[in-house]
Amino acid sequence: MTPVLSDALRAFGLAALQAVFLLAMAPLLKTLIKMMKARLQNRQGPPLLQGYYDLAKLLRKETVRSETASWVFVAGPRVYFAAAVSATTLVPVLISAAPLEAAGGVLLLVGTLALGRFALATAALDTGSPFGGMGSSRDMTIAALAEPALMLGLFTSGLAAGTLNLGALARSALQHGVTFHPSDVLAFAGLFIIVLAETGRVPVDNPATHLELTMIHEAMLLEYSGPDLALVEWASAVKELLYLTLLVDLFMPVGMATSAEPVALLMALVAWAGKVFVLAIAVTITESMNAKLRLFRVPELVSISLGLAFLALTIRFL
Amino acid sequence: MVAGPMASGAALQEARTVTPFDPGSGLRLAIALRVAVVALTLLSARRSSACRWVGFAGSALASIVTAATAAAMLSAEAGISSHGELFLHRASGFSFTYAADGLSAWFLIVLSTLSIPIAIFSIGYFAHGPLARRTAFSAAGFNALVGAVELVFVAGDAITFLFAWELMTLAAVALVTTEHEEGDHRRAAFLYLVLSHLGTGCLIAGFFALASMSGSVSFATLLSGEVARGPMRDGLFALFFIGFGIKAGIVPLHVWLPEAHPAAPSSISALMSGVLLKAGIYGIVRVCAFGLGTPSLSWGVIVIALGGLSAVLGVLYALMQHDIKRLLAYHSIENIGIILLGLGAGMVALSYGRGEIAWIGVAASLYHVLNHAVFKGLLFLGAGTVVMATGTRQIEQFGGLLRRMPWTGLCFLIGAMAISALPPLNGFASEWLTFQAFLFGFRESPEPLAHFLFPVGGAVLALTTALAAACFVKAFGISFLALPRTAAAAGAREAPPIMLIPQALLAALCLGLGLFPGGVLKALGRVLVSLPGLPPQADAAWNGLGMATGGAAFDYVVPMVFAAALACGIGVAAALSARSGVSARRAPTWGCGGELSPQTEYTATAFSKPLMMIFQAIYRPTRRVESLGDVSPYFPQGVRYHSEIEPTFERHVYGPVLRGVLRVADSLKVIQAGSLHAYLGYVIALVVWLMLVVWWRA
Repeated sequence: MTPVLSDALRAFGLAALQAVFLLAMAPLLKTLIKMMKARLQNRQGPPLLQGYYDLAKLLRKETVRSETASWVFVAGPRVYFAAAVSATTLVPVLISAAPLEAAGGVLLLVGTLALGRFALATAALDTGSPFGGMGSSRDMTIAALAEPALMLGLFTSGLAAGTLNLGALARSALQHGVTFHPSDVLAFAGLFIIVLAETGRVPVDNPATHLELTMIHEAMLLEYSGPDLALVEWASAVKELLYLTLLVDLFMPVGMATSAEPVALLMALVAWAGKVFVLAIAVTITESMNAKLRLFRVPELVSISLGLAFLALTIRFL
Repeated sequence: MVAGPMASGAALQEARTVTPFDPGSGLRLAIALRVAVVALTLLSARRSSACRWVGFAGSALASIVTAATAAAMLSAEAGISSHGELFLHRASGFSFTYAADGLSAWFLIVLSTLSIPIAIFSIGYFAHGPLARRTAFSAAGFNALVGAVELVFVAGDAITFLFAWELMTLAAVALVTTEHEEGDHRRAAFLYLVLSHLGTGCLIAGFFALASMSGSVSFATLLSGEVARGPMRDGLFALFFIGFGIKAGIVPLHVWLPEAHPAAPSSISALMSGVLLKAGIYGIVRVCAFGLGTPSLSWGVIVIALGGLSAVLGVLYALMQHDIKRLLAYHSIENIGIILLGLGAGMVALSYGRGEIAWIGVAASLYHVLNHAVFKGLLFLGAGTVVMATGTRQIEQFGGLLRRMPWTGLCFLIGAMAISALPPLNGFASEWLTFQAFLFGFRESPEPLAHFLFPVGGAVLALTTALAAACFVKAFGISFLALPRTAAAAGAREAPPIMLIPQALLAALCLGLGLFPGGVLKALGRVLVSLPGLPPQADAAWNGLGMATGGAAFDYVVPMVFAAALACGIGVAAALSARSGVSARRAPTWGCGGELSPQTEYTATAFSKPLMMIFQAIYRPTRRVESLGDVSPYFPQGVRYHSEIEPTFERHVYGPVLRGVLRVADSLKVIQAGSLHAYLGYVIALVVWLMLVVWWRA
């Protein structure tokens, strides 16, 4: 076997492992946030494994599709899922290298997530239900506003490290350690807001509501059932875990393994889980302490993030 | 005995320098073919079907010759550039000359890539409806237009260029008026004519100024970059940028574009959007960026600023359009903006002597020139098919077309995804490269201004891309999905294969150009060596884009690997959700307790409403709601809703200018009173004055 081919096979094998790992962890994160939120409200909350039960149940259930829907409705969840899964291969998780980092960097990651969003938003228009259109329109609107802020935030870290490739970025961040440089702090704050917006969290969207006037992401899913719904729910969870991992990679890479030794990997797993847990707490607290913003107040929130990213860039380079 | 082999060696040498394909003969052949095709078309004008086949198939054939010529030029190892005479009138010494280099070859390839599918599409398209009666006119006009654009791209002197430029404008105006019964088509053509001539005027002034300074009209002298100096250079840049900018549809010179492009028959719109605008870009690259000497920093800044403005305003106005062809026309403004962003980044880098960064910017913009031609051509052909099938251009009256026109829908979806810059399609590759130009420029620039400008440029590009995605979710979703909104949409039928094959071809190109960006960069590498100031670039891999200036790679992308990962993901999703023997149950969509009907569907207006509210400072929307009822407004029998956005440029920029021109024209009536005696008096006065001038000089 030629070395090129075996390298490629190895990379794809690692990519598959990492994708499976993140797919396995994602429902846990989602339930964890739900549980912590319930505790903050003096409720019991779901058991920690509820996310898996839900997915298992949905995957077993019958698929019901609208009579008006075409193949786009079927393709939507699958492309959304595939985009989230292939995005996982571009981000380093435990080791300071992404399995498919040779395929592309930050720009490809953003493009991939945009592909998933496009597929789901298009599919949501397919049933003719007004809710689908409402969700689709709002989701694309918020994404359009969030995109420049996301790009600027990522550029700030990328330009500081001298690369936009996420593997190289994580390695550079690992080398320099956590500096608490003001520009890092500002860029982190800006990106955190964007992560809230992109993952449909309060104050932008409320994942726990099906109230017709306020829902965004959920409105696109109303007509989905069974395995189709499971795919979307699962992919959304993966996307959220991915965004938190991205924040971890960029701003607090401490503890990441540099080689594939079992001990280092175990340490990295603990460190990664701990850091994501801290971010999950931050998301939970933000969700619990804020009310959902009116749709037309969201631009203000996003422009705060844009401003922070600009400031970060200015502090870093001027 | 020794002389023999020597002589034959010399002969071989001679043969080697002569045998390579001579671009001149290819160009002459293409032009001759076109002239013959026009003649045959006009001769067969009475037989519509024969005329269509002769006119359009002939045009495709001529375009194939051009494409082969251009491809041969790019694949030649050395000596890409070639010049000579196309036509010489011996008695007067008047000649048309050509000077084709890599840049010409690239634009010829862009033109042919689009004009061949469009010509094939037109064979089917012009068979229908009122257009069939004007087949001969349209086919002849189409040939004239494509030929003129070819001539623009290879013109070797200012006279040939201006001749071709004017022919191009006139042919385009004629084609816009194909359906001249409609008042707004005539108005659009007039607007286009007036603004184009304003631009041509600027170009004539610019070229004549250069010619008078250098004493030659040949581009080799005019555009050597050594003719003008100092502030004169800035003045010339402004003249040329306005002149070419009008043709390219740069904001604020764009007002003709959203009127003229929708008015033309759809296949002509595809050509206008895909290639005609690029004639303006060609001029800007040829003259403004590389023909007036090293660009100064302020030029680059102007190009980036106007590019950013065009990109954002183009897409914002596109979002509010519910006429599918107007929507696409506004997206052309957006994409011209993106092309200028890359070019501007290149010009800024050139101004401080960083050729390798400039290379990225210019390559990004030329890549996007090709990509935009492909996906916008595809989208316009799709729109034309839909408009033909439903008889309307209003998105709000489509709906459910995917079931009725599955292939058109699929192709349109691919085009929509490409223009939204989604990987692994071609739009992503060129926008990725544009981002690289900004990031590299930012990182490596010694100029404080670039440190401010480049991140803003990057953010503007990100905003534009995301808004374009929103717009095309709307354009595709509302048109092709859910229930048909009108009887016309319900009765739509799929187009014949001759109209579908070109669309499939362009859709395949969207995918191919996205999956093999390295191949495109290889070709661009040969194009860019013909431009001064750009260093030759190392060969790229076929399947990837990698950018590095010294040391390690900054970022790279291999769309093939990504596409493989995506395909695996889709496979996993399908495996997870597939259960043997069980097919999905079909049920009606829940209509909130009411019955689901086209009236309850989300509309295009509603879809873009949040963005209208958010950007109301730009749109300045007005709305009027009237309730219609006989008895009392509290018991309405119907509601009339009217909403519009303010045409800012038309009203606040062109309005005052137009009024001023009319006022001046009014006051000029005094000297143009219709009296023959007065006119003779003017002539005599002029002659006397000229004689005095001559006498004074002598």
